Amino acid sequence: MEAKTKDLWVFVETKEDGSAKNVGIELLNPGRELADKQGGKLVAVVIGCGVKAAVEEAACHGADQVLYVDGEEFRQYSTDAYVAALDHLVETYGPTTMLIGATPNGRDMGPRLSSRLQTGLTADCTGLAIDEETGCVAWTRPAFGGNLMATILCTDHRPQLGTVRPGVFKKPAAGEAKAEITKVDFSFPAEGIRTEILEVIKETAGELVDLEGADIIVAGGRGVGSAEGFAPVRELAEALGATVGASRAAVDAGWISHSHQVGQTGKTVGPKLYIACGISGAIQHLAGMSASDVIVAINKDADAPIFGVADYGIVGNLFEVLPALTAEIKKRKG
Amino acid sequence: MATYNPVTPEIIAQLEQVVPGRVVVGQDVNPDYARDEMPIYGVKMPEVAIDVLTTEEVAGIVKICYDNNIPVTTRGAGTGLVGGCTPVCGGVVLCTMRMNKILNYDLENFAVTVQPGVLLQQLADDALTHGCLYPPDPGEKMATLGGNVATNAGGMRAVKYGATRDYVRAMTVVLPTGEITHFGSTVSKTSSGYSLTNLMVGSEGTLGIITEMTLKLIPAPKATVSLIVPFEDLDACISTVPKVFMHHFKPQAVEFFEKEILVSSEEYLGKQVFPRQIEGVEAGAYLLLTFDGESMDELDPIVESAAEMLVEEGALDVLIADTPPKLKDAWAARSSFLEGIEEQTKLLDECDVVVPVNKIAPYVAFVNEIKGKYDFEVKYFGHAGDGNLHIYECSNTMEEGEFRKQVDEFLSAIYQKAMELGGQISGEHGIGYGKVKYLAEAVGPVNMALMQGIKKVFDPKMILNPGKVCCTL
Amino acid sequence: MNILVCIKQVPDTTEIKIDPVTNTLVRDGVPSIINPFDGYALEAAARIKDQDPDTRIVVLSMGPKQAEAALREALAIAADKAYLVTDRMFGGSDTLATSYILYNAISKVEELEGLKFDAIFCGKQAIDGDTAQVGPELAELLNYPQVTYALEATNADGTLHILKEGEDGNYLIGVKTPCLITFTKPSFDPRFPTIKRKMAARKAVIENLTSAELPNIDPARAGLKGSPTKVKKTFVPPRKEAGVVIKEETGEESAQKLFTLLSEAHVI
Repeated sequence: MEAKTKDLWVFVETKEDGSAKNVGIELLNPGRELADKQGGKLVAVVIGCGVKAAVEEAACHGADQVLYVDGEEFRQYSTDAYVAALDHLVETYGPTTMLIGATPNGRDMGPRLSSRLQTGLTADCTGLAIDEETGCVAWTRPAFGGNLMATILCTDHRPQLGTVRPGVFKKPAAGEAKAEITKVDFSFPAEGIRTEILEVIKETAGELVDLEGADIIVAGGRGVGSAEGFAPVRELAEALGATVGASRAAVDAGWISHSHQVGQTGKTVGPKLYIACGISGAIQHLAGMSASDVIVAINKDADAPIFGVADYGIVGNLFEVLPALTAEIKKRKG
Repeated sequence: MATYNPVTPEIIAQLEQVVPGRVVVGQDVNPDYARDEMPIYGVKMPEVAIDVLTTEEVAGIVKICYDNNIPVTTRGAGTGLVGGCTPVCGGVVLCTMRMNKILNYDLENFAVTVQPGVLLQQLADDALTHGCLYPPDPGEKMATLGGNVATNAGGMRAVKYGATRDYVRAMTVVLPTGEITHFGSTVSKTSSGYSLTNLMVGSEGTLGIITEMTLKLIPAPKATVSLIVPFEDLDACISTVPKVFMHHFKPQAVEFFEKEILVSSEEYLGKQVFPRQIEGVEAGAYLLLTFDGESMDELDPIVESAAEMLVEEGALDVLIADTPPKLKDAWAARSSFLEGIEEQTKLLDECDVVVPVNKIAPYVAFVNEIKGKYDFEVKYFGHAGDGNLHIYECSNTMEEGEFRKQVDEFLSAIYQKAMELGGQISGEHGIGYGKVKYLAEAVGPVNMALMQGIKKVFDPKMILNPGKVCCTL
Repeated sequence: MNILVCIKQVPDTTEIKIDPVTNTLVRDGVPSIINPFDGYALEAAARIKDQDPDTRIVVLSMGPKQAEAALREALAIAADKAYLVTDRMFGGSDTLATSYILYNAISKVEELEGLKFDAIFCGKQAIDGDTAQVGPELAELLNYPQVTYALEATNADGTLHILKEGEDGNYLIGVKTPCLITFTKPSFDPRFPTIKRKMAARKAVIENLTSAELPNIDPARAGLKGSPTKVKKTFVPPRKEAGVVIKEETGEESAQKLFTLLSEAHVI
């Protein structure tokens, strides 16, 4: 389809309480820059039920316009209802670009929408720019487990779509809301939703480990040596209010459950501080954590690849360093 | 019986001259240095512990100990199972863990020179990047190569490739006097006097301290397939093993185990890999075989005919692992048997007998017959391909004295049976501290005297790892 | 129940290394494997078949002729029949073009098999591309409901019950067939093939579907030309600048220095 406007849209995903998920607000930041270069408006798109909070949040973080759809059928995310609503909005308003947070729902919805619109979608981007030559968005994303970066263009189809990894961009500063707020009337028949949530299982069988949402992660690898070897890792994590992570080697050895695994077949994390203990830094692990703001590595082997990404590296025995660090933190905390 | 001197402040000062800042004394010594994985054979703190870095340091320290009559016990990762590195007379412990450099590959001669603290896993992984295999494959991959050589460690692949001994070409040794000497060379044959290299292999730190080793490698096989073979019961499982060899299959590894031990290991790992039921029939025991070769095309027909033979012999099915992740899964549970048992057991002892392959079935029958007389539980698994069984005595309820008493009786009986059947009391763990008495019973006074004589020649003051192998305190 | 499992042969990305001299990917000697997530999808189908032996499992892959190895492995594990979509014309397809080709191939396979699939199972993403897009894009073309990030699937009388991994817990989702499910890593691995299956798989005939067998495919929507997204460039990610190395005499001193540095940088 042809774009009717030069507008750039940011899909702002909502939580069940109607507030915005972080990533939607984060994307208003690069969205602003891209919209200006494209010469169009920055439009936040909100779908949900009782989404006043999310609409306001988007409005005061730099959006020129907020389009929103509000209805009971959107309270819970469903592929069918959300894709129908977005399709309707796109068909009606015709943006040239849309950014979607690469959350589980974003990555469920994005490709379905691109297939309905028969346009290009680039997944899980970590870099956004405007390609000088074509004026299209240059979407940059990791592939091959983070070994390779690729820059992708969608030259002939509109809107150009991309899902963008959470935590890559900082939220723009909040300011006065200047956005034009537009409620779009759209409803979706309940029988059109072909999936049904039968049960919500908050307590899963294993322990729940929220690594993706953690501000600080203390992770252990082969160097911890045993399940008991995780004790100093856990103690430091506790002192810091951090979550415990692990490399694949430690998980495969059975020292800790898979829910702690960081890296390609585990979780991708981007905390403010990542402390890697006895982790050599296989590329798969680096792929999962190198987006962390500050990386500390503690390893006996001065040649370990983890030191290549570390901001601070201690060459030493983690069983000496960790207890001392824990003690130091406890001391300063009083 | 030797008597030793305590480590005085003067001696500590002398040691400090050799390794400034690394002489750890008394309470500061890492408590791990008091034991190996079998605390049942005693826990004793050394007076001094030193993490050594060079041959010269070792020589300097040993010389001081020799002059002052102080016992020296060398240790690696402490993964032994017979109290081999426990400093039973106190004195000085030398830990080689920091001598962990792979020094040089000689790919024209398929040899690698390493320091003794290099871990087995470290060398295995590194050799593969050079297209080579270091064949010895003991279950404990975090053991040091120095320890592997000192105990002539065996492992899963011994069936086809032999034990550690077959891969030791040369070594640098510090003798108990503090002299530095070299044994062997990278050549593949030698008929040059007594093999001092071979005397050192399996000497468990009683004759000298190995500070550098040249090990043999082989070209890494390009294709590997493992077969998981469930049987209804252990009998059917074990009696199949000799047939594998009679049919001229050359497996790299043949392991057997009962379901119970698999279950505890899989629980420990938190992952169930092996099928417990085949078409409604409960599996009671398993064989795990590995074949290797130059290509899958070469292996496919071998695997097919082996599988056919196994099914004819009563296997419930034959499952195939021929991709890297599947091979890893198949062997992960096997590698964690000991950890699985340890996690569930308070009092633990074990033995490591080896019997001729065709005697495994009668031997296991004997063990099963007498185990009922004792209050502890008996669990076992083994390298079926070379008749090497690991038999564990486990109890969570017995009082320790009574446990030791009953285990001693049980071990004497099963060791005697092993000898009767033409076996040996240790296949790969060694004698260490825990099995000296049983070795004497097994080999008799003449052979013990020969061993003690050799010990005397190397170590006249008996300062190296006292109380081990052929010597009592 | 009839289940189609889509699988992709991928290089084992855990084995890929960067050549430190040329700063490019070293792909030589990297083994090809079934995309692990597709393996979970296959195992999920096998578990449904364990409950209902009448289940037919068909595997479909798109790729070069060598991808037959992955299909044979799938046959050895659990599949009853395998099809390979292979044609130079399809090379270079992005996710949208791939889903379009698979959509056409599925209707051809249904015709050849004389059945309709009740469910299409896919891995959530392939570990080489990591896009997680082909499944939902294919579901849209089929106009089937989709469930992504599935851990387990059970057949409850024409409805599939899907245990789905969520951000803060799991969900049990009911979805009517026909449907498309994409699977993430569950607590189990695909089963080991039995020797019988392995031998049969080695001899199995794998039907190849080329553009000749798929005449409905519009060349303008397939291959490089038919792909709306184009790769402008690829590069090896730049390494970060060297960090601060702390190597004090003792672990304790190192820990103290680290603490000071982190405090000064307002990290903690």
